[in-house]
Amino acid sequence: MTRLLQISAVLTLLGLVLMVWSMIAPTPMPVILAMSVGQLVGTLAFGMFGYAVLVDQLRKQRAKGAVAAAAAAAAVTSIAQAAGEAAAGPAGSTPAGSAPTVEAPP
Amino acid sequence: MLSDPFTVFAIGCAAVAAVLLIWYLAVKPALSRATKLVLLFAIGILPIGTAANGNVAGYHATKTREFCSSCHVMTPFGDDSSNPSSTSLAARHGRNEAFGDENCYTCHADYGMFGTITTKLGGMRHVYEYTLHFHQLTVEQALPRIHIRTPFPNATCIRCHSTEAPGWRRVGDHRSLLDRIRAGTVSCASDGCHGPAHPFAQVAHIRAEQAAAAAEGAPR
Repeated sequence: MTRLLQISAVLTLLGLVLMVWSMIAPTPMPVILAMSVGQLVGTLAFGMFGYAVLVDQLRKQRAKGAVAAAAAAAAVTSIAQAAGEAAAGPAGSTPAGSAPTVEAPP
Repeated sequence: MLSDPFTVFAIGCAAVAAVLLIWYLAVKPALSRATKLVLLFAIGILPIGTAANGNVAGYHATKTREFCSSCHVMTPFGDDSSNPSSTSLAARHGRNEAFGDENCYTCHADYGMFGTITTKLGGMRHVYEYTLHFHQLTVEQALPRIHIRTPFPNATCIRCHSTEAPGWRRVGDHRSLLDRIRAGTVSCASDGCHGPAHPFAQVAHIRAEQAAAAAEGAPR
């Protein structure tokens, strides 16, 4: 993406040079070049910039999504581990398979 | 050049954009949100400002006599119409404040709603003709070949000379030919009336025709 942005910056400079040339020397060829090639190059450069930013944004969102997914997976794993440990329980506690006793309210 | 505010604004936008772009190319910063914002101005907003104002400035520039006579074959036309001692129709109109240094465009622009567009398309035809047919010719070679594509319309003259003013009506020929002038069947720029706007070009045409006739009639 950096390379694309650098090309876009160079193309913009080229378009600007053509446009400024037409204003400094307003004769037919510079004016025609500025209004055709200059604007075409400028539009192309802006399109490349938009594409680069869009791709960068999508990459960042994807990366953010992957991090979130990894965190969620880690959380699920840790919960499952905790549940498993709780189910196994320490020695002398409620035997496995028996339901925990609940005291009735007074 | 710098008296035109559109030009000043366009060049200002271009200068700021160029500084930002050179900074980006030289420093190569990481693509953070701030860099994107800088590039949005440098590649998008400021160049759009330059292009928009440059178009207006370019449009103004294409209307000037200096622009029209920048093609070498048009030099005699521009020189004549800016010559204070010339009595040609073009020069007399060029001395009028309402025409000024845009006298070529004022007379040769098409009238009507899309007049500007058709005039500019006609200008592109001039560029095509100049590039392919006239670029290599000398002024002397080109002059006999330069001609107006369609007869000069009276409607262009009538834009200012409304045919209603008492001074205009006082002229006997105007009065007697009023309907034909308005209909365009008698040209204001015809030989019996006001004559061609660029008489030296007509002289060149006549000389070229005479030379061609003499060449045809000459014994081989």
